[in-house]
Amino acid sequence: MLRDRFRPTALAAAAVLLLAACSGTAGEAAADAGQPVSGGSLTWGIETEPITFNPHQYAQAKARLLVANSFEGLLTHDANGGYVPLLATGYEPSADGKSYTFKLRTGVTFSDGTPFDAAAVKANIDQLLAPGYAPTVAAVQLKNLASVEVTDPATVVYHLARPDVLLLDFISSPQGAVISPQSLRKAADLKAGGPDLAGTGPFILDRYTAGQEVHYKRNPSYWGSRPAYLDEVTYRFLKESSVRVGALTSGQVQVIEGVPATDQALITGDPRLSLTRGLNSGSAYSYYLNVAHAPFDDLKVRQAFRDALDVGTALNAVYQGTATRAWSVVGPTSPLYDKSLEGSYGNNAARANQLLDEAGWTARDADGFRTRAGKRLTVRLVQSAPYVRDRRDILAQTVQAAVKQSAGIDLAVSLVDQGTATKVLEDGEYEVFDNSRADTDAGAALNLLLASNGAINRTGSKDPALDKLLDAGQATADPARRKATYARIQQRVVAEQAIVLPLYAPNDQIAAAKTVGGLSFEPTAGVPNSAYQVWVRK
Amino acid sequence: MLRRLATGVVVLWAAATAAYLALLAAPGDTVDSIIGDGADTPLIRSQIVAEWGLNRPAVVQYADYLWRAAHGDLGRSYLLQRPVRDIVGEQLWPTLKLALFAALLGVVLSLLLAVTTRRPWARRASSTAELVLVSTPPFLIGIVLLSVFSFRFGLFPVAGDRGFAALVLPAVTLALPIAGVLTQVLRDGLDRALEEPFAVTARSRGLRESAVLLRHALRHALLPAVTLTGWLFGILLGGAVIIEQVFGRPGLGQVTLQAVNTKDMPVVLAVVVLSAAVYVVLNTAADLAYLLVDPRLRRS
Repeated sequence: MLRDRFRPTALAAAAVLLLAACSGTAGEAAADAGQPVSGGSLTWGIETEPITFNPHQYAQAKARLLVANSFEGLLTHDANGGYVPLLATGYEPSADGKSYTFKLRTGVTFSDGTPFDAAAVKANIDQLLAPGYAPTVAAVQLKNLASVEVTDPATVVYHLARPDVLLLDFISSPQGAVISPQSLRKAADLKAGGPDLAGTGPFILDRYTAGQEVHYKRNPSYWGSRPAYLDEVTYRFLKESSVRVGALTSGQVQVIEGVPATDQALITGDPRLSLTRGLNSGSAYSYYLNVAHAPFDDLKVRQAFRDALDVGTALNAVYQGTATRAWSVVGPTSPLYDKSLEGSYGNNAARANQLLDEAGWTARDADGFRTRAGKRLTVRLVQSAPYVRDRRDILAQTVQAAVKQSAGIDLAVSLVDQGTATKVLEDGEYEVFDNSRADTDAGAALNLLLASNGAINRTGSKDPALDKLLDAGQATADPARRKATYARIQQRVVAEQAIVLPLYAPNDQIAAAKTVGGLSFEPTAGVPNSAYQVWVRK
Repeated sequence: MLRRLATGVVVLWAAATAAYLALLAAPGDTVDSIIGDGADTPLIRSQIVAEWGLNRPAVVQYADYLWRAAHGDLGRSYLLQRPVRDIVGEQLWPTLKLALFAALLGVVLSLLLAVTTRRPWARRASSTAELVLVSTPPFLIGIVLLSVFSFRFGLFPVAGDRGFAALVLPAVTLALPIAGVLTQVLRDGLDRALEEPFAVTARSRGLRESAVLLRHALRHALLPAVTLTGWLFGILLGGAVIIEQVFGRPGLGQVTLQAVNTKDMPVVLAVVVLSAAVYVVLNTAADLAYLLVDPRLRRS
């Protein structure tokens, strides 16, 4: 459910370098748009039509800007990876880390008139745990939740079976958003969401035309310090990037998201438009090496594969300088990022060749590939076509050419349908698996990707030491100790064991007319923000 | 008439069954498709299996599906979590509107071209243009039309299903290749009809060349064109997938593409059955059109 294509954002903490990552054009745009003004409408061209508008079912990071318009949770993230109260006024963890007490904001109502209180929060959790409703949330984010207790209308206590700091990330995530209990009972298509579902957010979804657009109007009785600036905002689903860019340059929409590298010059060259980029949170786009069988069961071959590749050159060839190189499996905007990995490995063809010689892959066949005992040094990367984005298929071909030239490694790339890809993974008929995740807490992504029993562990690695570190990271609330634990994990999987080869940090782009102000990226997820802060110059 | 109806029902059943078997035979099972590349644990799997009744044997699921379909219940979409009837229902009209308008444009354009471009030079120019249109992917035609008429001159809105103006560019994109093929077929038919003895007879009665062409030759030329109705339908449906994507229009094309990619069985089956039904209706209409065009067929 938490799919790579959709860049899901499941859980907790962080973006620090985000402001640095955004280009300076945001400031200029604000200057053009002047001071915030109330009123007006905005049309925004977006790339992805969400599968669902129900926040509990949320699985597409590209849908986050829509969900955040009308739904809110008890907490939200601040720019430094911490938590700030939203529908709560504060929270208190118990000394043993096994329960969290939340004080709730009073006087808040859902847009259908239902009051927001502790019973509503509990009703949402009960719904999330209902069989068949949100199996991934129940199995991953809420696996350590024992019970939720309403002590008074403005107080709710979460009891955990074991300490789990990722609970706070869940509560701040779209899946942790609170839906009106009346909607939960009455909505015709609860799991699909739509105008039937009421939230507490600054906008109300009032019209959805599948395949075309979704329309939000301002929530006049929003509880915050002010209502939204915009009277209404329409998101049009424009799947083709050239069509989105054309719609923007011809003034038919005022904002678009998703500007491919090849089109960015069109935007930056136009004095009426601005372009901003935000790095996504979560895990970097990486190659995961399958250690379950030869040849990557040999550490030397894994290191050779890593050292044979000049990642920077490959990225420049495909993305023309718009990609941010990743040095760690953790994205560079995460507070858990281990900066010391930068420049510490890779791009060393001589060492790669020496390692392969040592590992016994000494002979070469007619095509120039290395062989051992008559068998070619082939590693297979199978990409599932529906999930390929950012031209990752082209990047794979570039890597293929690079490792062949520098070390005689045969990277066999195939692009297949989802069914075939699933079968390949089940049968273990691959040596390289590629993936990036947009979880707000990188720790949540690593639990899935690296733990022995991880739900997306494709490396086949069963490393008790690593599992212990991951468990410690999930149970530690102290930021410094948590960072140290995750630094250890990154060193182990990237530098020492070479089971992960990080390539780039995915980013999102917003292009807009300079009359639009207040556009920004969510500090933690790194995806475009909701329309709450946005205004249009009159 | 009853026989025709029975045949129609058999065609629908065969189409549904073929689609069912094809999806069954495709690699990966339904649970895998629903999970995608997301988190995958036994608990998640068991919940999905229970939710959709996937633990029943394939034959039972198939029979259950047919039984409910016969009662008008097309089931719920695995992916979109809504009743299939709603999804298909709300997307049907935008696609139909596009298809009808494109078909109309294509037919009118090809009739005009076939009849007016009889002189050698006009014919050569038109033939070349037709060949180019037939060989150009609709995707490219769409982007070019958008760039010129929407982005550059701002004559038409870029996308969506909002009024007649938004229908023009997508319909033209879809109509051009149709017009290309139909014109060639019609022109060929006209050429052959004009060489028939009846054309000589008509001319000898003193009829003007244009009357010979329109009143006599065109009828003959229409017969092979009517036969192409089935093909036309295929082009319209296939074209809709691409046109809707390029122009950001709602419609069945997008729904179908997404459903096939994600193995969303209930939606795929509904679209297949619907297509088969339209196909049956169109072929029946074509058979009736033969009678209208050719009086000789009415006698038998």
